[in-house]
Amino acid sequence: MAVKQMQYIIIGASAAGMAAAEAIRRLDSEGSVTVLSDEQDMPYFRPMLPFIVSGKKKFPEMMLIGQGPYRGANIDVRINSRVEAVNTADQKVSIKSGEELPYDKLLIATGSVPNIPSDIAGVEAEGVFVLRTIADACAMAHRAETARHAVMLGGGLLNLKAAFALLERGMDVTLIVKSPEVLSKLMEPDDTVLIRNALNKAGLKLVTGSSVTRILSDSSGVIGVLLDSGREIPCQMVCIGKGIRANVEFLDKSGILVNQGVVVDKFTRSNIQNVFAAGDVAVTLDPIAGERIVTGLWTNAAEMGSCAGRNMAGQPGIYSGTFGILNAAQVADEPFVSMGIVHTKGTAYEIHITATPETYRKLVFTPDGTRLVGALFIGDISKAGLYRYIIREMMPIKDIKSEIVNHRLHYGHFLR
Amino acid sequence: MSQPKEIFVRLDRCVGCHTCKIACSVEHSRSKNLFQAISEQPAPKNRVYVEWAPPDRKVPILCRHCEDAPCMHACISGAISRTEEGVVITNSDKCIGCWTCVMVCPYGVIGRHMETRKAYRCDRCPDLQVPACVDACPTQALVYRTVAAFSGDVRQDAAREMISGKGS
Ligand SMILES: Cc1cc2nc3c(=O)[nH]c(=O)nc-3n(C[C@H](O)[C@H](O)[C@H](O)COP(=O)(O)OP(=O)(O)OC[C@H]3O[C@@H](n4cnc5c(N)ncnc54)[C@H](O)[C@@H]3O)c2cc1C
Repeated sequence: MAVKQMQYIIIGASAAGMAAAEAIRRLDSEGSVTVLSDEQDMPYFRPMLPFIVSGKKKFPEMMLIGQGPYRGANIDVRINSRVEAVNTADQKVSIKSGEELPYDKLLIATGSVPNIPSDIAGVEAEGVFVLRTIADACAMAHRAETARHAVMLGGGLLNLKAAFALLERGMDVTLIVKSPEVLSKLMEPDDTVLIRNALNKAGLKLVTGSSVTRILSDSSGVIGVLLDSGREIPCQMVCIGKGIRANVEFLDKSGILVNQGVVVDKFTRSNIQNVFAAGDVAVTLDPIAGERIVTGLWTNAAEMGSCAGRNMAGQPGIYSGTFGILNAAQVADEPFVSMGIVHTKGTAYEIHITATPETYRKLVFTPDGTRLVGALFIGDISKAGLYRYIIREMMPIKDIKSEIVNHRLHYGHFLR
Repeated sequence: MSQPKEIFVRLDRCVGCHTCKIACSVEHSRSKNLFQAISEQPAPKNRVYVEWAPPDRKVPILCRHCEDAPCMHACISGAISRTEEGVVITNSDKCIGCWTCVMVCPYGVIGRHMETRKAYRCDRCPDLQVPACVDACPTQALVYRTVAAFSGDVRQDAAREMISGKGS
C-alpha cells in the first residue's frame, strides 16, 4: 500500500531542531525533512561560542553536522531562510524569499534571544554586544582585537563564560551584577565562596549590587559605562547578558498559543494540530518544582527535540520535562554542577552542606527528608549523574541517604 | 559482519580483587607496563571501578555504552559519538571540559583528567582483542561477548540490570 510521503518542516537548525530531524529520520526514511534557519551559517554547537570569542577555536571545529549524534543524512538544512509567518489553517510556512512551504508536521524550534533591558541607555553604540550567534561571537572577537577593557553586564553563566573568553585574550574585564553575587540563578550567595575566589584568582573584576544606567560612546563606539552609583568605568566594549526570551514574534498571527514560550502538552504538541515545539522556545515542565518553565539549556533542547521528532514521526512518547536548573560548567579552575532545587533560603527544605577549602556540597531534601530534590557540587563533581538520576526519578532514598549525604554513593547502591 | 561484543558483569563472581582496575590503568598508561605506569605523570587512570555495596557485594562498574546514550545527546560540543562497533567514545580534541556528561551519566562512570580538562571513560581497549579488564579478571566476573551469547548464558542474574544499558 502506498503511503503518502510526509513533509516535515522544522524551524530553527540548532539543538532542538537538529535533534528532532535525526529522530524523525530514524523512524521515517521516506518523508522529507526540511530544517529552516535564519542564520547565515550551517548549524553549530552554540555553547562553544566563547571559544570563538577567545580565539581558541575556529568555526569549522564547532559545526554540528557529522558530530556526536548528528549525522545529518538526508536532512535538508536551508540557511538564510527566515520564517516570516506560519499559516496553520493551510499548513504552510512563508519564508523570507516569499516562498511558501507546505507541511504535514511542523516543529517550532526557534530558540531564544538575549534580553536587552529597556532601562539601559545607549545600547545602540558600536561595541555593545550580546553573545548568541556565531555572527555575534565573530563581531566580539573582532572588537576585542583593539579593545583593552570590557565591561560585562549580568552575572549569569553565559556572561561569565563570555567574560573568561575575553580574559583569555588578555583583556581587562569587569563584571557588573545587580545581585549580591554572581550566578544567582544557580546558587545562593553563601554557596559562591569557591567560585568567587576562582574568579578573583583569574583576574576578573567584580562590581556587585550595581547596575549600568547608560553606555557612553563617541565616534569610536563605546568609551565607558555609567553605574547607578554615579561611578564611571572606562571601557571599549560592553557585553549584555541579562537573560533570554523565547523567539516567538513570528507566530503572532498563527493562533499558536504562546505564554512566555510556545505552550505544549506532554507530547510536545502545541494547541494547534500538527504543530510541535521544543527547546528554548517551548514551555517545559519542571517535574521537581512542579512548575511550567522556559529553560535555556542545550541538554533540554536536544532531549525535547528528539522527543518531538519521534512524536512527529508517529511514535508517541512523553517528554517528562527537565529541571529548571541543570548546569555543569567550569569557571576558571573550579568545576561545578547545579541541579534541581538549590535555592533554600526561607524554605523548609532539609539541607546538608559540607564545605572544605577545596570543595562545597549542598544537598537539598524535601522537608520530611525522604526525597532528594536538588544538589550543588563545587570542586568535586564526580558521579553527579547518580544524584541527577535520584532527583529525576524521585527515588526512595531511605537506605542510601547517608551515602548521598557523605558522597559515598555509587551505582552499586542502585542494584537491589 | 559479526555482532559487536560487549563487556558484561557477572556480579555473583566478583570477589573484589581490583585486578581489573590495575589492568585498565596499565592499558591506559603511556608505557603499558605496570612498573613504569606507576610512576607516570599524570598518573594513568582506570575506567573500571569496583565498589562495595551492602550486605556484602562487590560491584564492578564501567561505561555501559548505552543504547541511547544520555551523555552523547547532552554533550554541548559534539565530542561524544558512537563507533560502528557500538562503543561510545569521547573525542579528547573536541571535549571542552564542561562536564555535562558527568552530570547526566546515570552510572557515574565518566572520569575527569584535571590536568588537561578532558573527560574519559571506558573505550573497550581499541588496541586489544579482548579488553584488558576482562582479560585480567581471575574469576571471569567480567566477560566479553555478544549480547546474544551472553543472554544465552545468563539465566537469572542481578547483573541483567546493568547490561540493559538503557540510560535515562
Ligand atoms: C554562549 C553560550 C553558552 C551556552 N552554554 C550552555 C551550556 O554550557 N549548557 C547548556 O545546557 N546550555 C548552554 N547554552 C544554551 C544553549 O545554547 C541553548 O539552550 C540551546 O542552543 C537552545 O537550543 P534551541 O535549538 O532550542 O534554540 P537555539 O539554539 O536558540 O536555536 C534556534 C535557531 O532558530 C533560528 N531562528 C529563530 N527564529 C527563526 C525564524 N523565524 N526562522 C528561521 N530560523 C529562526 C535562530 O536563529 C537559531 O539559529 C549556552 C548558550 C550560549 C549563547
